[in-house]
Amino acid sequence: MTAAADGVRLVAVGIGQLEVTNERSTVLVAYGLGSCVAVTAFDPMARVAGMVHVLLPCSEGRAASASEPGRYADTGIDELLRRMSELGALRSRLVLKAAGGASVLGAANGEKFKIGERNAEAIRERLRHHGLRLAAEDFGGESGRTMELHSATGRTFVRTAAAAPHEL
Amino acid sequence: MSESNERIREILGAVAQDGAARAGRSLTGLVGQDIRIHVPNVRLGTRADTCDAVGGDTAMVLGAYLGMSGDLEGHVMLLFPEKRALECVDLMFGRPVGTTTEADEMAKSAVAELGNIVGSAFVNALADHVQLMLHPSPPTVVHDMAIALVQTIYAEILARGNEVVMIDTVFEDRNGQAAGLVIVAPDPHSLPRIEELAA
Repeated sequence: MTAAADGVRLVAVGIGQLEVTNERSTVLVAYGLGSCVAVTAFDPMARVAGMVHVLLPCSEGRAASASEPGRYADTGIDELLRRMSELGALRSRLVLKAAGGASVLGAANGEKFKIGERNAEAIRERLRHHGLRLAAEDFGGESGRTMELHSATGRTFVRTAAAAPHEL
Repeated sequence: MSESNERIREILGAVAQDGAARAGRSLTGLVGQDIRIHVPNVRLGTRADTCDAVGGDTAMVLGAYLGMSGDLEGHVMLLFPEKRALECVDLMFGRPVGTTTEADEMAKSAVAELGNIVGSAFVNALADHVQLMLHPSPPTVVHDMAIALVQTIYAEILARGNEVVMIDTVFEDRNGQAAGLVIVAPDPHSLPRIEELAA
């Protein structure tokens, strides 16, 4: 699925990063989400696509840095919505999806802070705050995920190391 | 990053030498042939450094994770690029390197045992060094994209540091060598204790 056809631009959205585009032939991709969560937004009318790659659940009042606007779930969602609007997306039309928040170190042994679970909850909570909710999600489990959003169609795909890609 | 992290790197460097010697003895006893473990390089690394050391962000890695609890808390993870892990499995089974070609259940079980031996030896060496009670958890086999595993450790400790201790770890027997990486990441609230105790 990442086999980009001619003319398709693949944009990797790294940890803490955020990308929005109104180009029709871009694929936004977040590789290897462990406890991280990627949130995608798509306005099918304005054809604006965005993705934020969140590391931690809560900014606790810290301002999001310019270099890592997507570091925290709360400020990351706020910034994603703002940047989508700038490109002409309407909140009421946004299709929001998210994936990640796994316990890749083993739920029994590692991750006593349960960052993955808290990231997922923080995303839902912040969207609720804006009167929004996820249309689809793929959270939890013990496998890392890679998530893609195709700006031409708004279709999103998730894959793990072990399983074939599936559409979200 | 900070001076205190540098001090912790020094402490854990000494502990790594001791842990490697212990793990080598355990492994030799387990497999019935002489296996030595070298730790030629101990350094602090960022998330990117850690992933680069095992083949890059999106490289498939195989290894084992152990949690450390007791008087100090933290994370220990042995990681190999997938192919190196399989070579190490061959060393453990006394077979020519290259015999194991797939990360099947047998290979994963061997990697779990290897992680258990190396991780526990390291935790026990640290416990002796700082004279505290420390307990390694049972190992979890990890088989995933490097960044997914490394990112998760960083998220767990991120309240304070941006760097973890990276220990290059080389397993060697008469048939050959296989190199992996041990990551040690104390929980933020345990860092001052380690500095204090080792002062």
